[in-house]
Amino acid sequence: MSTDNAETGLNIKELLTEFPEMSRTELRDFKKGIDETFKGFTREYGEGIENFFDPLLAILVWFEKLVVATPWPLMIVILAALVYAGARSWPLVIGTVITLLIVGYLGMWEDMMFTLALISVATALCIIIGIPLGIIMSKSDRTQAVITPVLDIMQTIPSFVYLIPILMLLGIGKVPGLIAVCIYAIPPVVRLTNLGIRLVDKDVLEAADAFGASPRQKLFTVQLPLALPNIFAGVNQTIMMALAMVVVAALIGVQGLGSEVLKAVNNQYLALGLMNGLAIVAIAIVFDRVSQKFGKRLQKHSEVVHG
Amino acid sequence: MKKILTTAALLAAGFGASGAMAQDMECGDISMGEFNWASGELLANVDKIILEEGYGCNVELIVGGTSAIFASMDAKGTPDIAGEQWVNGVRVLVDAAIAEGRLHAVNTGPITGLGEGWWVPAYTAAANPELVTVLDWIERPDLFPSQEDPSKGAFVGCPAGWGCQNINNNLFEAFDMAEKGWVLVDPGSAAGLDASIAKANERGENWLGYYWSPTSIIGKYDMQAVPFGVDYAGDDNWNNCMATDGCADPQRTAWVKSEVFTIVTDDFMQNGGEINDYLAARVFPGSVMGAMLVYMADEQADGEDAAYEFLIRYEDIWTTWVSEEVAAKVKAAL
Repeated sequence: MSTDNAETGLNIKELLTEFPEMSRTELRDFKKGIDETFKGFTREYGEGIENFFDPLLAILVWFEKLVVATPWPLMIVILAALVYAGARSWPLVIGTVITLLIVGYLGMWEDMMFTLALISVATALCIIIGIPLGIIMSKSDRTQAVITPVLDIMQTIPSFVYLIPILMLLGIGKVPGLIAVCIYAIPPVVRLTNLGIRLVDKDVLEAADAFGASPRQKLFTVQLPLALPNIFAGVNQTIMMALAMVVVAALIGVQGLGSEVLKAVNNQYLALGLMNGLAIVAIAIVFDRVSQKFGKRLQKHSEVVHG
Repeated sequence: MKKILTTAALLAAGFGASGAMAQDMECGDISMGEFNWASGELLANVDKIILEEGYGCNVELIVGGTSAIFASMDAKGTPDIAGEQWVNGVRVLVDAAIAEGRLHAVNTGPITGLGEGWWVPAYTAAANPELVTVLDWIERPDLFPSQEDPSKGAFVGCPAGWGCQNINNNLFEAFDMAEKGWVLVDPGSAAGLDASIAKANERGENWLGYYWSPTSIIGKYDMQAVPFGVDYAGDDNWNNCMATDGCADPQRTAWVKSEVFTIVTDDFMQNGGEINDYLAARVFPGSVMGAMLVYMADEQADGEDAAYEFLIRYEDIWTTWVSEEVAAKVKAAL
């Protein structure tokens, strides 16, 4: 009797301290099953999916070649002009030119051009997909309820986790790198487009209705213009997050400043790591200041409308 | 109780195992380095099981990387044994330690057929029987179209920042591959390199690039090493040119021979007795090691699980490393 009690006591204790987990073989079969299913999927559809992304690859390769082949003085002039067009600020233009000259002088010009090309195409892709998605999300609470958790996952899941299926599907190279960057960077532009449209004053919409505006007219002439400052804040964040992914993209074979950082990390090259890391920071600051100034100019315009 | 002991002693004496029994008493505690990669784990655990069950030792495994375990043995004399010490990376230090008698290489080839180099899938090799050496393969970039520019051949090199990156870059140049229409692809990371091999094999695409053996990837996808077709051009070319960034005039060369030793400390060499004989006899054929690594990857097995699997599956191999009595004792424990 006493031994029975002791045994029951032991069992309860065991139950409380040891989590009732799946048996090791079951768990292994479960994991293997998922892996095998995905492998089957890649064998079946991998090539088709890869072909689907061929136009994207062509654009990316073309743009990269263009940026790298452009003579550096011309490139600096173009970038300075873009900065001026966006920010209308001479100090910023001068700062940008000095930064570019320093980066080039330190031997990182080509890598920076690779990174710039990737970030530009990634940002463009994120905007092209993100803004319509944000608009759809703003139209119904139900789509918002579906898309929001997906965006949460995309932003918080460790990027190495989705690198595995991307690598299996698309291998290494620019397109998988671009997709990895976009998965991480697209949520802000989607969220802020949705938010911006939802924040448009109900009175203004009523007025638009009163003038007999069609839904399409309402969207393009009222909602989107009024939401622009928010959308631009989203684009700004998307660019920042894309730049943060440069090193992760390098892990799957995207050339640029990121691969130099990896090289530095693997060999404890302090100077190389710092230089390339700071070059990424420099690009980020330029992008950030320009897009912020641009956003502010849009905001001024909208304040006038409100006033 | 006493009767059982006496019987056991009599039985042992009857089998003529008194020598081994005496050894049991002497064996005592051994610390062994367990290298933190799959084949290193397997090898250390096989040693542990055989030494504990067969020789009555008490083995403690100490996990670490190439330089950590070596540095500890060299400086402090512990652990006693390192089973799979890759020598190339720490050659100068290993040579010095052996020359000065601090360490001894009891086995200069615990795994056969290992090394770094260039590989193609077996089906690619079978489909192109006329292409044998690197010199032949590099004439056919059309077989390996690059994703980004299909008019060029893709040669997958070594991830950014690895020691082999410089070597592959220099070999790429030495073999004039750019002029022959190749691009050198940087896979970015070990995961990228593995994925590029896995993807090519899953789709039946051709692949030419850098890898090393013994690894589960090589075993699983049946990759074949490509002989370079030229001789090793000497240490001077290798160390002072191929291994450096931006060597002016890299010479064509085969990959340097990879060496792996089982090393023991001087103290263990003096007092280890027949354990050292075991370590010297313990040689894993490369194909068997490859098959075990595939097993480990597929079953997500750790070193200990894999060691038992090895002892069960390849009895005919490991029983040749030990005496019959030891083999019997190990078998009884499986």
